[in-house]
Amino acid sequence: MFDKLRAMLSKVDADYADIRYELKKDTIVSFSGKELTEIGANSTDGYVVRALKDGGMASVVFTKEADAERAVRSVMESAELIARNAKKPAKLAEVELVQGAFIPALKEDPREISMSEKLELVRKYNDIPLGHEKIATTSITYQDIIREKHFLNSEGTQMREDLVTTRIAGELIAKDGDLTQNLRVAAGGSNGFSTVRDQEDYFEKRTKIVLDLLKAKPVEGGVHNCVLNPSLAGVFVHEAFGHYSEADLIENLPSMREKMKIGSKLGNQVLNIVDNATMADQLGFYKYDDEGVPVRSTQLMKNGVLSGRLHSRRSAAEFGEPVSGHCVAQDYRFAPIIRMGTIFIEPGTQSLEELTAALGDGLYILDAKGGATAGENFTFGAQYGYVVKGGKVAEMVRDINISGNLYETMKNITAVGNDLVLSKTGGCGKGPIMQTNMRSCSGGPHILVNGLVIGGA
Amino acid sequence: MEQLLEMAGKVCDSAEIYSIDYADKSVFFENAKFNNADSKFQSGLSLRIIKEGKLGFAYTRNLTDRQEFLQNALDSLKGGVGAGFDFPLTKELPRLAIFDPSLENLSAEKMVQECDRVCDIFKSKTDAEIEMAASANTGKLRIMNSSGTDVSMKSSGYEIFGHIIYPGTGVGIWRALMSKGFGKMPDDLVSEMIDLYTKTSKVLEPKGGKMKVLFMPGSQITFNWRISSGISSKSVYEKVSPLAEKVGERIFHEKITIEDDPLDDEFPGARSFDDEGVACKPMTVVENGVLKSFFYDLDHAKKMNAQSTGHGYRTTRWGGDRLTLKPTPALSHMSIKPGKKSFAELVKQMDRGMIIENALGFHSGNIPNGDYSVGVNPGFYVEKGEIVGRVKDAMVAGNIYETLKNVVDVGDKLYPSSDGAWVPVILCDDVSVATKN
Repeated sequence: MFDKLRAMLSKVDADYADIRYELKKDTIVSFSGKELTEIGANSTDGYVVRALKDGGMASVVFTKEADAERAVRSVMESAELIARNAKKPAKLAEVELVQGAFIPALKEDPREISMSEKLELVRKYNDIPLGHEKIATTSITYQDIIREKHFLNSEGTQMREDLVTTRIAGELIAKDGDLTQNLRVAAGGSNGFSTVRDQEDYFEKRTKIVLDLLKAKPVEGGVHNCVLNPSLAGVFVHEAFGHYSEADLIENLPSMREKMKIGSKLGNQVLNIVDNATMADQLGFYKYDDEGVPVRSTQLMKNGVLSGRLHSRRSAAEFGEPVSGHCVAQDYRFAPIIRMGTIFIEPGTQSLEELTAALGDGLYILDAKGGATAGENFTFGAQYGYVVKGGKVAEMVRDINISGNLYETMKNITAVGNDLVLSKTGGCGKGPIMQTNMRSCSGGPHILVNGLVIGGA
Repeated sequence: MEQLLEMAGKVCDSAEIYSIDYADKSVFFENAKFNNADSKFQSGLSLRIIKEGKLGFAYTRNLTDRQEFLQNALDSLKGGVGAGFDFPLTKELPRLAIFDPSLENLSAEKMVQECDRVCDIFKSKTDAEIEMAASANTGKLRIMNSSGTDVSMKSSGYEIFGHIIYPGTGVGIWRALMSKGFGKMPDDLVSEMIDLYTKTSKVLEPKGGKMKVLFMPGSQITFNWRISSGISSKSVYEKVSPLAEKVGERIFHEKITIEDDPLDDEFPGARSFDDEGVACKPMTVVENGVLKSFFYDLDHAKKMNAQSTGHGYRTTRWGGDRLTLKPTPALSHMSIKPGKKSFAELVKQMDRGMIIENALGFHSGNIPNGDYSVGVNPGFYVEKGEIVGRVKDAMVAGNIYETLKNVVDVGDKLYPSSDGAWVPVILCDDVSVATKN
């Protein structure tokens, strides 16, 4: 394969060029209620070429080998066009050459598990909620997605890596009269099929929660102090802060860039945030990014002060900051963009009881459902929550959606718990050409946040 | 394709081949500077087979071995996904004007020049940080099946997008032009953006409460997702739609009429057949507030003893790789009928209220139930019929089956929504707005 890629790359007449070929294997088993709606295993493949010439950088995607020539022509035309027009030439930070292959160690390779075993496992989990009268339907999907990546650049880097993602994700929908309530389920990870085994108790618990939601009251809209559980703290740090650690999002917004200078005090003293995708056995784990740069653990915030940023080679050169190995594509259909790997709030010292006692009156809100960031604003939803009165957790509430502001909310995190949980499934969309990163991993301890605006219903 | 179909025909009861070949070209401007370009050439084949009432599915980017490809589909039969339906025989489709050949050779340079022209206008009239993008695509789609259908289309699409951002916030106002061929960003869109931007430089922190809310095109994906969830045959079949028993009943205000006309080739993306080869036809979904019809693909039509309405598309709410997706019901060409009031007239009708330009978090919350709770991104505050400033931290929340009953009036102009629908601005009363005060 590398010889073929080398031949294709040799046709690119540029100052720098790289080519990535991926074979992507997808297995899917999907249930909608009792009905099996999808099952199958397929593979697809394609190429991405990037070229940098005279300060113009462009990319092309193609899926047929026969299109290689016109793809190379197209990427050169684009790079030259940018070079002629660009006011600021693109540069790439220097990195060490990599000659390597990384095939992750798996606890059960999903490629070696039969389709019928996968089917039976999903059916078993799916039957747990469906055994209850008030569960209207479920939507449960098993997937294993394997990206077999081959990367080569004109500097001499040659890299092979497999990314194996296994997951079971979906939602349970409960209905009582006109009221429907839904709750997400998610299990999985980067280190093999074992991450989706033994989830029976989990499905039992989720079923109970969604049935309880039918009896919960809608939360009252307004400003609330809240304790967030680790899942929610993870999405919170991802949406409220993480995206603006991605250098490409602020590179060309001069006024945001000014506010996000290293050394700026953005958060409360108690807040330490890191992106560390190098830890094995968690969802965000990888060795090399899609520019062939080894990923590094990056401290993003220390004691509330901005201390680092996530970079591609291009943005690292532009900012004059170290490369971090965070330039990642969804798959062979996309050029890479800057992505969080595994972002989390580092644990502090307080127990959950201490946090709710410190909260006094407010809300204890749990489990993320969807978040979004646009500029300084962000929103995210909690799947359920409880009213807290005098430090005691009381009745359940639903329909919890939160909005906040990057610069203000990070200062309102006033206490950090002593636990740490990282997410097992992900799905973060980003970019003018939308890419989804299903290995986007986030987490944290329980945290106490003051003054969150909650939409209510 | 013919050979593959013949091979499949020998071992299955019926088969369908879906083939695509697309080329895209995009240019991106950040901080009013051209700094990125991307192109894509993507093709592939997808195969559905039916044998003994079971559905098999396979797809590939590169058909190197027909037998192996067919075997992949045969292997997936073992799972036992039911297929009560059969592939249709579709003939004599209307001819639609959906392809502008000039897009095949449109130079990236021409797109760059147009983005530059618009950037210069924004620069001269505002202090905003400016993003622009333009993209052009052309493509071929062909569907063949063993019932004798062989339909194909060649189409083109062009989009130019401008975004003016309040400095220091990353938040701004965007508008887009979508067309079949190259076009200049219309002057009225550009001046509308500049006008709104200029009136909203001041940041306010108004009191919350129930008030009039004007939903701008950028925010209406909030409604569209929930409307199409409620009206989808899939939701009705799964018993999660609150509309299951409500055909013929009033579900929205009488000023709301929702249509789906795939054949209207004035708009880009018109289709004479869906992704299952079923002929498309115009459909009224909601007429003067009254629910008229659900929309179906082949699978759900068969399950619910109805006819496919030609709404089987290989997509998800987030888009996705259509080669790898199986068709599901999708309201592909939704449009809300415009009213008679201009934007300025609608603002005048607001004593006190919020204009929600974009909605953040439209994808979360209880979508089947119609609930929404979205951040204003940004919001514009209105007092005594005048826009007086911009609001940052606020949420607009409710349930579409209540909000869209409280319609005051509907704007007179159609805009593309980010989900592909065409919508006017909609003014609603008595909507809950939560703010910091």
